Formats: sequence, structure tokens, C-alpha cells
Amino acid sequence: MTSAQHIPVSALLAQSECIIRSLGSDDKTAQRLAQMGILPGTHLRIIRVAPLGGTIEVNDGQGQSFALRQQEVAAMNCEPVAMPLISELVAKGRTYMIRDLRGGKTFQQRMAAAGLQEEGLIQIREAGVRPIQIRLVDTDRQVSLGQGEAKKIIVEVINHESNS
Amino acid sequence: MNPTAEPVTIALASIPNSGKTTLFNLLTGSSQSTGNWPGVSVEQKSGIFSLGEYIVTLIDLPGTYALSPVTEEEQVVRDYLLNSPPNIILNVLDAGNLQRGLGLTLQMAASALPMVVAVNMIDETRRRGITLDLKALALHLGVPVIELSAKTGEGLPDLKEALYEIIKHPEKTRIPHISCPPLLEKAFFQITEAIGKSSIDTRLDHTFLAMRMLEAENQNQWTSNEKVAALTKKWQRRLKQSLQTSFPVVCAGCRFNAARGLAMEVLGEQPIIEDKLNSRLDHIFLHRFFGLPIFIMLMFLLFQGVYGLGAPLQEILSVAFDRAGSWLFSQFMVLSLPAGLQSFLFDGIWQGIAVVTSFLPIIALFFFFMSLIEDSGYMARVAFLMDRLMHRLGLDGKAFISILLGYGCNVPAVMGTRVMSNSYSRILTMLLIPFTLCTARLQIFVFLTAIFFTSAIAPWIILSLYGCSFVAVILSGFVLKLFHIGGTPEPFIMEIPPYRFPTLRSVGLRSWYEMKDFLSRAAPLIIAGVLIVWLLIHMPTNVPPASAATWAGQLGQILAPVFQPLGIGWQETIALIFGFIAKEIVVGSLAVIYGGTDLAGLMSSHITQMQSISFMIFCLLYTPCVATIAAIWSESRSLRITLISLVSGLAIAWLASFIFYQSGLLFGFN
Repeated sequence: MTSAQHIPVSALLAQSECIIRSLGSDDKTAQRLAQMGILPGTHLRIIRVAPLGGTIEVNDGQGQSFALRQQEVAAMNCEPVAMPLISELVAKGRTYMIRDLRGGKTFQQRMAAAGLQEEGLIQIREAGVRPIQIRLVDTDRQVSLGQGEAKKIIVEVINHESNS
Repeated sequence: MNPTAEPVTIALASIPNSGKTTLFNLLTGSSQSTGNWPGVSVEQKSGIFSLGEYIVTLIDLPGTYALSPVTEEEQVVRDYLLNSPPNIILNVLDAGNLQRGLGLTLQMAASALPMVVAVNMIDETRRRGITLDLKALALHLGVPVIELSAKTGEGLPDLKEALYEIIKHPEKTRIPHISCPPLLEKAFFQITEAIGKSSIDTRLDHTFLAMRMLEAENQNQWTSNEKVAALTKKWQRRLKQSLQTSFPVVCAGCRFNAARGLAMEVLGEQPIIEDKLNSRLDHIFLHRFFGLPIFIMLMFLLFQGVYGLGAPLQEILSVAFDRAGSWLFSQFMVLSLPAGLQSFLFDGIWQGIAVVTSFLPIIALFFFFMSLIEDSGYMARVAFLMDRLMHRLGLDGKAFISILLGYGCNVPAVMGTRVMSNSYSRILTMLLIPFTLCTARLQIFVFLTAIFFTSAIAPWIILSLYGCSFVAVILSGFVLKLFHIGGTPEPFIMEIPPYRFPTLRSVGLRSWYEMKDFLSRAAPLIIAGVLIVWLLIHMPTNVPPASAATWAGQLGQILAPVFQPLGIGWQETIALIFGFIAKEIVVGSLAVIYGGTDLAGLMSSHITQMQSISFMIFCLLYTPCVATIAAIWSESRSLRITLISLVSGLAIAWLASFIFYQSGLLFGFN
């Protein structure tokens, strides 16, 4: 089950993606966003967080980049679509699909050896525990991942109820 | 040329970053003039070009995303279109960013004013292998669509021909239909009907007017018809109750639904290709660890580029001026004039011109480098990198560059505030720049610290003055933010455009225009300021200049009770009056006032160390110079802002010196 929510500032990590459901309550901000064509239904992908924090660069799915403040995004109602595995939005028991493994060659090899591949399905066994314990749905294997590894794994929310 | 041809006005309108300014330069060449839109600190540029037998005035409207105003710029554009509709709208679209641009295009098309759409940067999309079906666009919009590259000039003849045709045969634009929720349609219909019945005389479509009225708080600016106003108010209330989001947001939604469809039609099935080079560059320039060091390095280069190159040029100019001046004033014709007039010509007018000229090299260099940063797309990255830091002061990230460059010279820094897209940040930055320690003030400090302090202590004093300047900038930032002097802040949502190669032509043109602009706008004020100071120092004529008996001397003595608590004597007060012309001449004026050859000896016998520091603090914080004030006035076009800058500078300088000097005395220093 997926739902629109206010995504907390701490969960606005690079490579997260969400769909805007409503533009938030600040009229001026909402109007500005709307006039730039950023409307409910728009996919936002977070490209990066500024080195000093506070400001993020997002892509609107049209190949255009924007800078916004984190509070402004947090004030919107968004539906998370994809996020790195370390995100606090990744919930226990839900099934996710691996969208992207963003690492170098050795990382790719290590993941392949552990049985993780793009489009593979995974579940989180325990939330908030480090290292992160996941279960590979297809092979029913259990893998534990370090924080650095989890950061490079981008997972996608899939739209059916968890099967746990 | 046919003298009977009516004058034609074309308004150039687009969303930001569409290459509108490049097209403006291309069309108008050197016939540009700049001013401000009435009542606001938004720059108005216009230029003239000829189209066949017609003389066309091209008005460059500020870049806006919509006619439903959020920002001052958008308000300017809306008011312009409503109150003095141009003959033709020339709308520029970025070929690589069609959907966003079409939002505004559709809104303007609804006005029924004749329009031509120029799809710009066609060379870029072509290079990326994207083909656009512009025929489809023209068909749907019902207006001519021309492909163009303002950078290379490609497509310009076609554009001119299309404009010419439309002037010759002005046809009412067919308004593209945008479907809206039924409730809105009903509101539009009723208000449109009421407008039709009222005796309003306008070339604008009535539905377009109805939409604008529904967005506005006050309808009376466009109609004196009570019925229309009352009906609009009624619908505003009703819409507010029944719509979940605000009216402009709902309308934007409808518009962009249509825009998306149109963009898809034009682009066909082509996938959106990410620009690899662009993301690689951003990976470096916005890197989590390297982004800031690279930025600092580039800022260092920028500072060096402007002032490292500019200072020697200024030096050459000043020597040339001195020589030319002494040659000119040794001519028989001039020597035969009365001494007072000679002094007026030489120390007044000639000096004023010299002050104005001395700024030209750095203004040219400043805008040369600023345009490089802006046109290349790095400016948006600067705003992104610095946003967190500057946001604390209520400022735009771009303000960082202006404030930083203020440490070289306040004048170009103030002029540079116009790169900021919102007037709130612009005004705030303008008011903060005078507290930056410019090199002219540094000269005073180096000279005075060398007299009053040992070489071991002097650098620390100067360093502390820099610290004092930082603190003044930051504190004033907080205070100004508190009092909302620049209006209300605007939400920070900024497009980050792709990196582009700046052309030498556009960068060079920009420097040239800015110099011209400075000469026409700020220069008269600077010369006037210099002349006023000349009068103060030389009147009455029967006493030695700058002596106690002159107006300046008398003023110094009148002001003595004000400056006495700061430990500043009347002689230094006169020097401070001189300092209003330019800080560079404060030291020279001290020599004139003390009237001796051994200035250092004379001063150190008159002034204590504490007093000298108090004097330096005052110099640091009070009005930088008449040129800065002139720049603030010509940028803000607001007497209020200029006065605030002038008065707050004096007040803060007095207060800081007072606190320093009195607490020093309290602790037993002198």
C-alpha cells in the first residue's frame, strides 16, 4: 500500500523519487511551483543535496533541474516511489524492487555474488537495525548489508500488499 | 521610409533562461536604453529596430513564468499587458524546455493580442538529435512559429518576415481553448458577459480580462464598472469555498495539461535524453566535497580578474587624467580665467569626471566576468551552493557574489545585484554591500595604521576592521530581514539551466551596455556630489580652501558636538565630508586640512591611537561614496531605499565608533 505523505527532511536523500500529490499549504510556494509546471502528478527525482545541506536539486521528469529548499519539498504531499535502501521510508515487511545498483565494478560483483540484481525483489527483515537485514524474495536468501552498500541500492515501491 | 507608418510596439516575453536577452540584443543592436518600470526596482529595457517601413520599439519584459503574479516582475508584465497592450507579443520558447515555456505561451495567447512564437536554441536540440514538429505547434496555437538560434542568428530573417507580415495584416489571434473545471468555466462566462456589457474599451479578449480579474485583489485598476467588480468578488468567494487549491494553481493545472499535450505533439515519441556532459559537469561543480573548494577558487579568480586587472587600468587612467588636466589648465585660455573659476573647473568638474572614469575599467571587467558566470550557467550553481548560508540572512545565494565583490569596490557590486531574479534579495543585498570593506577604504586604513601603530600591530588592526565589516554585514542582514525593508521574501524555486558556452559577443555587449548605463544613470549624480563637496570646501572664496573658515570647516565645527563623543575632531570631520566623494581622497584631504608637510607627525600629535581607530571604524561603516549612493539610487529607483542606505550607514557608523571609543575610555585607554 502506498500513500501520499509529508516526507520528512531527513528522508530527502539523493536518488529518492516521489510523485507530488498536493503542493502544500503555502500559497505563494504552491503558486510558484504550479506556474513552473510542477503540479500534482509530477515525478520528482532528487539529484543531490547541496554541500551545505538545506537545498536540494530535483529533476522533474522533463529533463529539467530545479533547486528547492528541503522544507518546501517536505511541506508538499508526496508519494514515495523510489529511494535508497538506507532511507527511513523503507518499511519493514514491504516488498521492494531493486531499481538500480549505483556502484563501481567491485560493488556490482559483490552484489551479484550475494544474489542482488536489478529488478530483483527484496524485503526488509528488521527496520532500524544496522547492518541492514534483507530477504531476497525470489530465492528466499537472507543477506546483510552495510550502510555504505545500502546507500547505493535504489529500491522501488511496488504496488501490491506485502506478503509477510 | 514611409512617414505615415504607425509606430509599432512589440513586447518580448518568455520564461527565464530562454535566451530572450540574446534575441533582444540581436534585434536591437546598440539602440538599447535601460530604465526602470515605474515604481519598482525592476529593470526596463527597450530598443528600436526597423522592419520594412515600420519603426519598431521592442520592449524586453522581465522573464516570468505566468501572468498570475507571485513576484514583482510578474506583476510588471501583467500590468504592462493589461494597461498598455503592445501591438504584438514576441514570445520566446527554449526548444529544449518546451512544456514549461508553453505554460506562459498559452496564457498570453488567451489575450487575443497578435503573437509570434520564436522557438529558440534550435541548434542545441538539433545537436542532441531531437526534431521538432513546429508546424503542429503553429497549427494548435494559431500563430506563426519560427525556429531560431539567437546565438548564431539563424532564423532571424524568417522571424523578421513573420513580424512584418503580422504588422501589415494584423489578424485577431484565434484563442487556443484550454479546458477547465465546469465551475471555473461558469465563472469565466459570467464575468466575461458582464465585461462585455460594460463600456470597457480594450483590445484584450474579455475572457482573458476575466481571468486576470479573478486573480487580482483589486479589480478597480482595470474597470470602473461596479457590476463587474462585484461579480468578480462574488466568484472569488465562491471559488475559494469550493476549490481545494487556490484559483491560480487550478488554472496552472489546466494550462499545463494543454501544454503537456502540445509538447508531446511537437516532440512525438522521442524519449527525453539526459545530457551526459551536463550531468558530468554538475557532478564536479556541485560535488559534495569538491564543489565548495572549486567555488572558492573560482571566486578568487573572479576577484583577481576584476580587481587585479582593473586596478592597473584605473591607475593608468588616473595618471592620464592628471596629465591631461595639468596640460589643459596650463593653457593660456584657462589661465586667464579667475582663480575661483579655475578651481571650480579643475577641482570640481574635472575631478568629478575623473572619479566617474575611474570606475569604468572595473565596471567593464566586473560585468565581463559576471556575464561569463551567468551565461555559462554557473550562476545558478552558485545560488545552489550558497543558498543555505545566504538564506540565513534572508538572501539569495547569488547575493554572495555581489557581497564578495563589494570587498573590491562597492559600485560594480551594487550594479551587479541586478543578476538576482527577485527584488527582495536585490534591495537587501544593495543595502548590505556598503558595509563591505572596499579597497579604497583599505588605503585609508593602511595609511593610518602605519602612522599610529607599530608594524607588528598594524596588520591586526586591519584584520579586525575586516572582522568588523563581516559582523556589520551579517548583523544588518538580520536586522533588515526583521524589518522587511525589501518587501516580503519570495519562495526559492530556481531552474538550473544546462551549461552553455558564452559567446564573446554577448559578454562583450553586456560590458559595453553596463558602462554606457553607468555613464548615463550614475555619472551625473556622482559629478553633482563632487561639486557639492567642492562648494563646501571652497566657499566663501576669501579663505584658504578646506580651512576652518570654509563652509566645510564651519560644518565640521557645528558637527563637533556630534563627533566629539567619538573622539573625532573637526579636522577629521572635514576629511569625512571629503570621503563622501571617494574614500581614496580622505588621506589627501587630511594633508590639505592639516596644511603641513609632515602629515604623519602632525596627526600623531593631534590624535590618539584610540581616536584613530574610532575614525577608521567610522570610515568603514558610513556612506561608502557618492558613486555607491548613485549606484544604489539608479538600481533601486527608490528614494526611500537610497535614504535608508545613507542614514543607516551614518547611524551605524556613529553608534559603532561611539561604543568603541567610550568603552575604550571607560577601560582607561586613550
